Amino acid sequence: MDLARNLGESARFQGEFARPLADEETAMKPLSSALCVALAAGILGLALTAPAASPASPVQERDPGRAFEALKRRLDKNLDGKISKEEFNRGQRAFKRLDADGDGFLTQADADALAGKGKVASDQPRPELPSEGTAPQATAEQIEFFETNVRPVLVEKCFKCHSTDSKRIKAGLTLNTREGFLTGGESGPAMVPGDVEASSFIEAIRYQNPDFEMPPKERLSDQQIADLESWVRMGAPWPSEPDMGSMEMSAAGSTDDAPHKESLNRHIDIDAGRQFWSFQPPVRSEPPNPEHEGWARSAIDRFLLANMETTGVAPVDDADDRTWLRRVTFDLTGLPPTPEDIAAFLDDSSKERDAHVVDRLLASNAYAERWGRHWLDVARYAESSGKEQNVVYPHAWRYRDWVLAAFRADMPYDRFLKLQLAGDLVPVSDETEHAWNQIATGYLAIGSKGHANRDRTRFQLDMVDEQIDAMSQGMLGLTVSCARCHDHKFDPIPTKDYYALAGIFLSTDTHFGTLRGPGNNQPSDLLALPQAADLPNGPDMGPEVRRLLERGRERLDKASQETMEMEAKGDKADAAQTAFQKRTQADQERLLADLLARFDDRGRALPKNRLAMGVSEGEPRDIAVLERGELDRPGEVVPRNMPQVLRSPDAPPIRAGSGRLELATWIASADNPLTARVWANRVWLHLFGSGIVPTPDNFGAAGLPPTHPELLDWLATELVAQGWSTKALIREITLSHAYRLSSRSDRAAEAIDPDVRTLWRMPKRRLESEALRDAMLAVAGTLSDAAPVGSAAGTFEGVLRNEQVAQIMLREQPVRSVYLPAPRGFVMDTLAAFDAPDSEFVTGDRDETTVATQALFLMNDSEVLRLADAFAGRLLDIPGSDDDKIRAGFELALGRQPTNGERHAVSAFLRDYQREVERTIEQDASQGKAKDAAPSSDRQRQRDQARARAREKARELARQRNGAPGNAAPEPLRDPRRAAWSAFAQSLFQGAEFRVIG
Amino acid sequence: MNDAIDRLNRIALSRRDALRALSCGFGMLALRGLGSASPLAAENLLAAKAPMLPARAKRVIFLCMTGAPSHVDTFDYKPVLNQSTGKTLSGYRKGAKLLGSPWQFRQHGKSGLWLSELFPQLAAHADDLCLLRGMHTDLPAHPQAQTMLHTGSIQFVRPSMGAWTLYGLGTENTNLPGFVTMNPQGGRAQLYGSAFLPATYQGLKIGTDGQGRRRFGQEQPPVEDIKNPRQSAKLQRKQLDLVQRLNEEYSKREKNDDGIEAVIESYELAYRMQSELPDLMDLAAVKPSTLEAYGIGKPETDKFGRQCLTALHLAKAGVRFIEVGAGGWDTHRNMREDLAKACTAVDQPIAALLADLKRSSMLDETLVLWGGEFGRTPYAQGDDGRDHNNRGFTTWMAGGGVKGGFSYGATDELGIEAVEGRLSIHDWHATILHLMGLDHERLTFNYAGRDFRLTDVSGEVAREILA
Repeated sequence: MDLARNLGESARFQGEFARPLADEETAMKPLSSALCVALAAGILGLALTAPAASPASPVQERDPGRAFEALKRRLDKNLDGKISKEEFNRGQRAFKRLDADGDGFLTQADADALAGKGKVASDQPRPELPSEGTAPQATAEQIEFFETNVRPVLVEKCFKCHSTDSKRIKAGLTLNTREGFLTGGESGPAMVPGDVEASSFIEAIRYQNPDFEMPPKERLSDQQIADLESWVRMGAPWPSEPDMGSMEMSAAGSTDDAPHKESLNRHIDIDAGRQFWSFQPPVRSEPPNPEHEGWARSAIDRFLLANMETTGVAPVDDADDRTWLRRVTFDLTGLPPTPEDIAAFLDDSSKERDAHVVDRLLASNAYAERWGRHWLDVARYAESSGKEQNVVYPHAWRYRDWVLAAFRADMPYDRFLKLQLAGDLVPVSDETEHAWNQIATGYLAIGSKGHANRDRTRFQLDMVDEQIDAMSQGMLGLTVSCARCHDHKFDPIPTKDYYALAGIFLSTDTHFGTLRGPGNNQPSDLLALPQAADLPNGPDMGPEVRRLLERGRERLDKASQETMEMEAKGDKADAAQTAFQKRTQADQERLLADLLARFDDRGRALPKNRLAMGVSEGEPRDIAVLERGELDRPGEVVPRNMPQVLRSPDAPPIRAGSGRLELATWIASADNPLTARVWANRVWLHLFGSGIVPTPDNFGAAGLPPTHPELLDWLATELVAQGWSTKALIREITLSHAYRLSSRSDRAAEAIDPDVRTLWRMPKRRLESEALRDAMLAVAGTLSDAAPVGSAAGTFEGVLRNEQVAQIMLREQPVRSVYLPAPRGFVMDTLAAFDAPDSEFVTGDRDETTVATQALFLMNDSEVLRLADAFAGRLLDIPGSDDDKIRAGFELALGRQPTNGERHAVSAFLRDYQREVERTIEQDASQGKAKDAAPSSDRQRQRDQARARAREKARELARQRNGAPGNAAPEPLRDPRRAAWSAFAQSLFQGAEFRVIG
Repeated sequence: MNDAIDRLNRIALSRRDALRALSCGFGMLALRGLGSASPLAAENLLAAKAPMLPARAKRVIFLCMTGAPSHVDTFDYKPVLNQSTGKTLSGYRKGAKLLGSPWQFRQHGKSGLWLSELFPQLAAHADDLCLLRGMHTDLPAHPQAQTMLHTGSIQFVRPSMGAWTLYGLGTENTNLPGFVTMNPQGGRAQLYGSAFLPATYQGLKIGTDGQGRRRFGQEQPPVEDIKNPRQSAKLQRKQLDLVQRLNEEYSKREKNDDGIEAVIESYELAYRMQSELPDLMDLAAVKPSTLEAYGIGKPETDKFGRQCLTALHLAKAGVRFIEVGAGGWDTHRNMREDLAKACTAVDQPIAALLADLKRSSMLDETLVLWGGEFGRTPYAQGDDGRDHNNRGFTTWMAGGGVKGGFSYGATDELGIEAVEGRLSIHDWHATILHLMGLDHERLTFNYAGRDFRLTDVSGEVAREILA
């Protein structure tokens, strides 16, 4: 975070690091699409003089439609297909002339009208066309250079005062023609082609002469000046207008332009594309009648068994009760069964004993914490922006809480999706409901964003792209954002469809918060939640954070002081530097003030902190297809709509509003062929380890086809039939016979189906990082039942680049992992080893690696050792013999009783380990004495001294951090018995069985 | 032993990775195309693979100078600039005045390369250096340019150079990670990440620059959890024996499940790493004369010296890609002092590293890279600093199949813009991969329906520098 960072040691360096540069600005900016009045004039001229009929002309240079397209490409910054006064920006007289229907926009209609009334228009004063003057024949490269680097600058920076279209031409100088440059104004010629130093306008733009600085308000960038100089050096090439017109047209980026279409876009046959399996509506087929029908308990089993029989494999035996209980408890809650759970299940002799367990688990809060986390993977949930400047999103946790609440209440899945896309637009009964629905739209706001980007339009387009990507992969299993730059390579999604969707999101305002400051050029406001709503204000700000901010405040004050002193000295060389520092300091003061204003003196969140990320309706507009995704190549404007392949051909275009509600309704519909299938597949994946479609985020042609298509369709239709109830679907699956199978191998089946695609046994799965951590906490007895309010990230603000701040934020807490802070690019130490997902991406299917760093974590990590100590303490507190304690250890950690062999091995280990610890302690004691007496070798002494120095340094660092070190080392074990039990407890965490859902 | 490692590697391939490879066909082809005869080798992600092309280098040591070193004061001799101090430069920053290098340049070695006095010790290796004086990059902002330098992309999260190298070549010592990054400077994990490539290919991070939880130093173990804070090796072995006993019982019950075998192996490797890695990193056992050669013990060179010596140890132990980070190059002001300091911090250690590589006949097969994310302006910022310049800068290579004592490319006479032998970051990457025996156009991975490359859609090998 910025505050603390400033204050840290390297404020100056960091400040520089984040410092924007003129060069960067130029480089980041898309080629300026600024207008040239000359072009407007040219078009006007063309329009006015256009012979009424030459449509067949291959060049079509006189076609006003094409001319308008060309103009639009340069000027239509918001890509809505028309040119507003603001976009036109200069030459208001010309604007008025061109705006034939006087609606305040230049549109195709205006161009047509002007062409149609050519005769009338020709009575109007005709704008001057630039003369070729004495321009030498310009090469194509020179013209290109002029159009790219010179004309936009002239238009943007000079024409307001120096154009034949200017309201008041200043100093008699017009620069919209080459002639104008040569003739010059009151003070003589403005330019001498080929001679930079003799060109007076160059002198002016260089700001060399204080009495003669142009443009008067702001100096051009170095790059712009260099370009204008180069242009003069070239001899000031200036295209003749007719040439320019045709060049504009031939460079057209319109998708109607045949050669471009050939080069970039393939031919997409939408109707043919619709035939692909996943775009066809699910068909509910009758479950088959397999030969061994008696095995099947449900429709699911019939589908699976029939498939097994075709393949030639038979299902293995059932898992024993304990194994099944552990499996279903982890799957539904992410926690191991308690000994009480086990006893209750074993005692239950009713026919519905399995169902009792499933119902109990589905009703628990732990279920929401588990399955909510599954969705958060898909929703790429995180609490900062990621990318090169990692800006904290302190209010993201409200969305997390909404997701958990939705799972707890078993919100119908269609509604669950609809609220995330358009919660702000659905009817509600009270303020609280409205608040929650707004929070739901946080889904669209929490994606990763490049806040360093200086170009607003580009930033927005990237954000929209991220939204489309998350939504299409997450909800539809489609990679629609592939079609941003070219038609989708595999799926029937043309670029047009992408921009039809993009129009919806560009017509939406996304509120992601954050404040402007170094590194953040793209802040936004947040949604203020209704005060009447029943909501928490937010997390408390801990004393550590408050101390940090306090120190920040002090250092900021000191820095301001120094800056002021520097300024007072009036050292001119440092003036720019001082101004920069002042700006930075002001930014940081604002950041600090904003943060502190949301908490009271004791660190409690105030009602002012009722803020949320989310979306609201913006100004509705359709946008143009951007060829290759490039801003300066807008083509045809496409109406906002859903992808063609998935909508009925007669679906009406969106007329009012952004279209988000229509989009949400269309996605959250039983008629959408993908939505229910994608969700049913995700649910299946979390219960069997892999999806029926093994690529859960890609149901397109580049994904894999379903292993059991009829079953997938049956599940999808069943989901809809059950009112989109996720819990009902889970219940159905977990009570199947297939889910009851053992995970043990069978040689015969293995030979035929080694990948267990037919599910002849239950695949073994590894616990996710969260479940593994939570299980250790639960077994150790340290896990808190209570859900914390908010998130530790909720009391921060600014760019997260200081590791010290990250350390405070990422402090270990005894809560379910889903509540731990989740800034992008940082992972809690206790979650890092076991394939925590990268929240930059939609993750439907986590990695399941087995690598040595995981072993190191479980062997040596301080937190693991502390948990082992706690677990050992718990065991030692159990009354009874050591044997009883060993049994309890196995039951707590693994949900089963130890075998005799295991009990003996553990007993022997405990004795042996305890003896060894005793010996070590004795040795240390005697060595300690010996060390005092015996002189050590030089090397040894050197090493010891170095170590002592390093220790001292570490202590010093800890002091500097004001008692905010990382998680402290665990207690050394002085009690040999406890040491042995802790080692045993840890070994239960370490074993392969602990991390496996068998 | 080898069997065990194979088994371990096999399971390091996650289900998702396998799916990726299968789902796209391309990935599988690519893996097969990488010279392995057996289709099973696709699963053996870390095992050494034959290169596609005749390889000049077996491994990379990348000395990454974060903050952008000034080329005109170090490796890009600009006599015209040096005579123009104080002259106003038209067309750039308002009133920008040229600043000749305050440091003297001299010719060194048989090759007569011009080097600045800021690198007195490295100058002794002039005949091994291949200066790339025509480098340029897209953006003059540190984070973006660093990301570009490491991953070839500014906008997206892409695999890092080291991860691509491991993907293409595997590693020679599967007892150690194949890609190690030391002291990454404030950058994100993305700079040494594997993005969509299998996680096995990501860099093992050792230490961060005084910011991280685990530091690079003597007391703090530089690899996370590499050392148990309270248990002796003997006690830990006893504990592991119990763990493995329980694992074996479990495996037997489960009829020899591969996944359980994988866990068993992961503990053995971890245990080996515990004893092997800290030894590689522990410089306490190194001869005092060696420590001295690397400047270890001298405050100004201690840190980078340790890193360079560790890099040598890792290279000898068979690590494929080693990155060593150093900061302090962002000299907007106080340049005369700060740049000298930054150069001093690395000069002696690098010289010692090159000398040791040569002495052990490893330089020929070790590609040493030196460079930052961009260069600095020949005109002054204030009166003692230089601003960012992405249009022209210098990096160098040594060993690993490049011409020694060679200078390739040039900036204009002032050092502003690369005008000859221009090398983009993609070109640079293409050249590095080529030297490692990888064709940058064929080293692809299919992700989300598209084939990705380190060099995106461009990049050309700088053939002129190949020895």
